[in-house]
Amino acid sequence: MSGGGHSDVKNAIWMRALLMAGIILGLGIASFVGLGVVVAGMKETTWDEEAEHYHDAEKDWEDAVALGTITSDNESAELYIAKEAAHHHEIEAHLSYLTYRVAGLTLLFVSITFTAFLAISGVLNSAQPDEEHHDDHHGHEEHHGSASPIVFAFGCMLFLIGFPDFADGLHSLMLGSGSGAISDISVGMIGLTIITIGIANWWREDLPFKGYGEQIATSDPFNGQHIRKAGIWVFLMSEVMVFATFFSSYLRMRTEWCTKWAFDEGTCREIRNDQGVIQVFDTHIAHPDYALTASDYLRPGGAVGTGDFWTLLPGAVNTFALIISSYTIVLALKIAKSHDYKVPSGFMGKIMPDKKSAIRNYLIVTLALGTMFIVLKLVEWSHLIAEGFTVASQEGSIFYVATGAHGVHVFAGLLIMLYMIFKADTVEWDEDNAQGIEYFGLYWHFVDLAWVVIFPAFYLY
Amino acid sequence: MGEHKLIMGKDIYFWNFIILMFFTLFEVGAVFFEEYPGTDIRVSMYVVWGILIVVGIIKGFGIGAFFMHLWDDPKIYLRVALFPTLFVLLMLWGIGLSNPEGVNGLPGWCTPDWGEQYATER
Repeated sequence: MSGGGHSDVKNAIWMRALLMAGIILGLGIASFVGLGVVVAGMKETTWDEEAEHYHDAEKDWEDAVALGTITSDNESAELYIAKEAAHHHEIEAHLSYLTYRVAGLTLLFVSITFTAFLAISGVLNSAQPDEEHHDDHHGHEEHHGSASPIVFAFGCMLFLIGFPDFADGLHSLMLGSGSGAISDISVGMIGLTIITIGIANWWREDLPFKGYGEQIATSDPFNGQHIRKAGIWVFLMSEVMVFATFFSSYLRMRTEWCTKWAFDEGTCREIRNDQGVIQVFDTHIAHPDYALTASDYLRPGGAVGTGDFWTLLPGAVNTFALIISSYTIVLALKIAKSHDYKVPSGFMGKIMPDKKSAIRNYLIVTLALGTMFIVLKLVEWSHLIAEGFTVASQEGSIFYVATGAHGVHVFAGLLIMLYMIFKADTVEWDEDNAQGIEYFGLYWHFVDLAWVVIFPAFYLY
Repeated sequence: MGEHKLIMGKDIYFWNFIILMFFTLFEVGAVFFEEYPGTDIRVSMYVVWGILIVVGIIKGFGIGAFFMHLWDDPKIYLRVALFPTLFVLLMLWGIGLSNPEGVNGLPGWCTPDWGEQYATER
């Protein structure tokens, strides 16, 4: 393999990976301390106060009911209204706390993962003496193949085998609850370690690649095409089938659920009971089999009644973020393939004075948007879980599995993006090796495309 | 590559991006309105579904054709991209058949003609 052991990337460059890792970890810790500790701490204090107010208001109401001053079903009584208002404020304070706490924790987790990938790659590769490196990447007889994806796939397999226990163990460690133990995360961690090694080696192999030795297919149906490009397209189509599985499961169940939306359309107002008598229901809530979907919590007019502009906002912002990130990676590719980079005028010219910085900065923007997607996604999940929409129900299960699988794809894309930025900052992308950005871009656009289907189906419908 | 085709001085990627942003805004906006603006007529489930599907197709086309270069690339990639469509159509047919509504709620042309009865009720 040309990429394999013939790296011409010097140790000094790999040490730069350690420097980048340190910066990212520093930013992650600062974000965690700022958002997850300081701001979340203030929000937690507010939450405690609101909880106390609610407790007092509830006690006042209960005392009044016990004394017979008001009846328990009198929803216009002043004490009842005060109790409900206090409850509403308590929920709002709880969700506000969760927003900052989860955002801080997510940024810390993401930065630790980014740091681990950069640091491990840097240490593994700079540990080799420079004299072992050969500058023979111009050898056209060499091809740019790699066995690292096999190592990576094996790690993925182990991680997925250990995932149920991993999730339990992590849940226990993070929240101090549940029945999981630290040993539960062992198989998952071994898988993650192998994944990391596979990716680190893959980085080392691909980093010096300057576009020479791209393998060309010599037979139909891809005759004359780059094998890597054909491979990524076939891979993407297998991904289509994975998401089609989630989507078909959801549609199959959704068409049978008696949601508020279906009820309003009159599709499930009547059911036949065990005695064969047809019962007609006036309200959705009275229906014995009524179902609450994620969109019932998130969109205005949803069955739960909590949905408004702000609950739908994270999903909507994420949709725009993915589309913008698709555009920024296209811009990075366009500049990489251009022969004459024209420095833009004004502010853009200052942050992108040359081709190298333009490509790197567009990729950094893509990384930032993807990271924001993950943060907003987890904040939204935490709100839904706090409101009772958990994985324990059919509706929750398919929502978390489908959007979670998509989130994992985004996160995997971010790790690849990190490598793309590192290469942009060191070896550099140009018209000869820009296909690396193009092939990764295809994956990133696919992730965007999957969200185009998931967002309306799970958030708006 | 689409950067060579300029429309009003901007390449096709820029216009594709603008169109995607506009339709996303339209998609999200459609869900915020429970009634047609300026009237008290309720927006039905089927209208919202229609909007979501049409916008999804337009956005999918924009991303696939221009951002993923299927418009300009050799047609073998388009054929590869369309290959799973066959399975997705089969999946949709399967959803219809396996749904309780499949027996008596779907039009006859998409069912195996079960005579509007479950086998156990005949």
